[in-house]
Amino acid sequence: MPLDTSTYDLALLRVDGRRWNELRRLDGQIRTQAAADGSSYLEMGNTKVMCVVSGPSEDKRRGQTSASTATGSNAADVAVSVVVAGFSSVDRKKRGRGDKRIQELQTTISKALASNLHTHLYPRSTISISLNVLSQDGSLLAALINASTLALIDAGIPMTDYLVACTAGSTSSYAANDDRADPLVDLNNQEEQELPFLTMATLGATDKVAVLVCESRVQVSRLEGMMAAAADACKGVRDFLDQVIREKGHKMVTEGTIEKGASMAIEIDA
Amino acid sequence: MPITILQPAPVPVFNDTRNDHASASDSDSDEGGVDLEGDISMMRPSKRARRTEDDSIVTPGEVITEDPQWMRGHGTYTTRQAPAIVSSVAGTLAKTNRLLSVRPLRARYTPEIGDLVVGRIVEVQAKRWRVDVGASLLAQLPLSAINLPGGIQRRRTETDELQIRTFFSEGELLVAEVQQLYGDGGAVLHTRSLKYGKLRNGVFVAVSGTGGGGGVVRARRQAFTLDLGGASADDAEKIDVVLGVNGYIWISKHVEGEGAAAETSGPGINRVEESVGLNVYSSQNDDIPMSTMREIARVRGVIEALVEHGLRVDEDMVARAYHEAVEMARGDGDGEDTLYLGGERGRRLAQALVGR
Repeated sequence: MPLDTSTYDLALLRVDGRRWNELRRLDGQIRTQAAADGSSYLEMGNTKVMCVVSGPSEDKRRGQTSASTATGSNAADVAVSVVVAGFSSVDRKKRGRGDKRIQELQTTISKALASNLHTHLYPRSTISISLNVLSQDGSLLAALINASTLALIDAGIPMTDYLVACTAGSTSSYAANDDRADPLVDLNNQEEQELPFLTMATLGATDKVAVLVCESRVQVSRLEGMMAAAADACKGVRDFLDQVIREKGHKMVTEGTIEKGASMAIEIDA
Repeated sequence: MPITILQPAPVPVFNDTRNDHASASDSDSDEGGVDLEGDISMMRPSKRARRTEDDSIVTPGEVITEDPQWMRGHGTYTTRQAPAIVSSVAGTLAKTNRLLSVRPLRARYTPEIGDLVVGRIVEVQAKRWRVDVGASLLAQLPLSAINLPGGIQRRRTETDELQIRTFFSEGELLVAEVQQLYGDGGAVLHTRSLKYGKLRNGVFVAVSGTGGGGGVVRARRQAFTLDLGGASADDAEKIDVVLGVNGYIWISKHVEGEGAAAETSGPGINRVEESVGLNVYSSQNDDIPMSTMREIARVRGVIEALVEHGLRVDEDMVARAYHEAVEMARGDGDGEDTLYLGGERGRRLAQALVGR
């Protein structure tokens, strides 16, 4: 079904009624699996992802994991495995273990996380992240990155900043109406099919880009707008993830599971 | 076929604050509306805004202070260009004099010298064992750091090396103390005390996330004997509990003068060592009466309920929770044999403990 871009021009509303800069509904939880070191569940609209982190632990099977990155000899490996459930999309696709698209997802996530995590603190060990895709509706890579960030924070693994990701697209794919092409953020599956889009991950609230994946043809003049829109959306995602973590932290403090922390408020205001 | 028109379902109300972003940068401006200079404006205001909130939780990437008088500790890192201490984990802030550190909400166990740990042998090497203690690296237990059966003091010979599996072999559980730490965080264990050694006659429980605040806490006494207080027909029934600091817990039948809780043996320790030391490396369970097994299972249920409800796991808490659980089982009329402490019963147990 073609996306009726003319409707967008009229009302500036997308197929699901969002405006160009609106994210879909986000829902996140951490500590969903009691036995794991870290776990999370994330929904970005209808894209639903589950993540379990185990480690850092010394792994005898080192080196044979498919997506592990060798970030120098003296740092932890980040091994990522992505499993896409058969029921996750409309048409049931049989995906083998050696599926190239999934392998690429794994490598992208693994490399991005390895550069963000303080892996040098855990020499000779492996941090393994397993991601399960329960439902797909666009922005899959972004959802996977966000879910793994949440799970890694839950596992208490030190990192530089939140690694947050979001997609951005452009409303028209041809050069003619260049002036009226708007960037769109957080694309759903239908929009991803129709429009050129990119996935971008940034480090927290900074504009440092950690991941930039673009698999479609796009006018180079529109790229900057798309990236800027994606960076802006990433900040929104970061605020959301931060809130999820804080809510959990507050709950733990009020329940007395952890001691109340010291406050720096006076020193900073002074 | 008749057509039924259904009433539209009410719009679900989502948490407004969560979708704040969408409405916050709300603009239909024709120039695209994207703030291309975001990198200057966003850092500072957001930090200030967050710090003024009265919450003690810090999250990764959050600037804790820019004041150069502080030193950074665990859970933090420093930035180069603008000297600041930034948090690298989500947790609570801890100040020790001028040292700033962040205690993570939850993390894996990090060994410290003197910790009492429960571990499982995963690998047997020529002169040492490799032990899983739940840390990021496997701990090692050298052959020279164990007691020989019978309490003989001598050098470890090649004969001992050949017989290394008669002491500990793969999959066996032991209680030990962290003797030494390597720079990379690896631990060296020792079992050179009557308190430590192989574990049998009991059940193993692992509690995750103890490196942070919850779970097993470092306490004065990690191994203790739980007096069942005449909970069952036998009068002098006791259960040994070893709460490993690493979150691995061992609950076993009490054997007089043996096991980790036998530290009160006093000055006669050498004689005791000689008499009981011969079967310390036995992997054979003693005969355990049914009632003891039931109480061991109950203690296990109690510990799991404590963890599930985010309560501390220490001697006092386990003892109180155990007696509370016995009372609950009695009070419910299901009989004392009811061991189930999940769901609603677990919640009631937790409430009874916190309420006091």
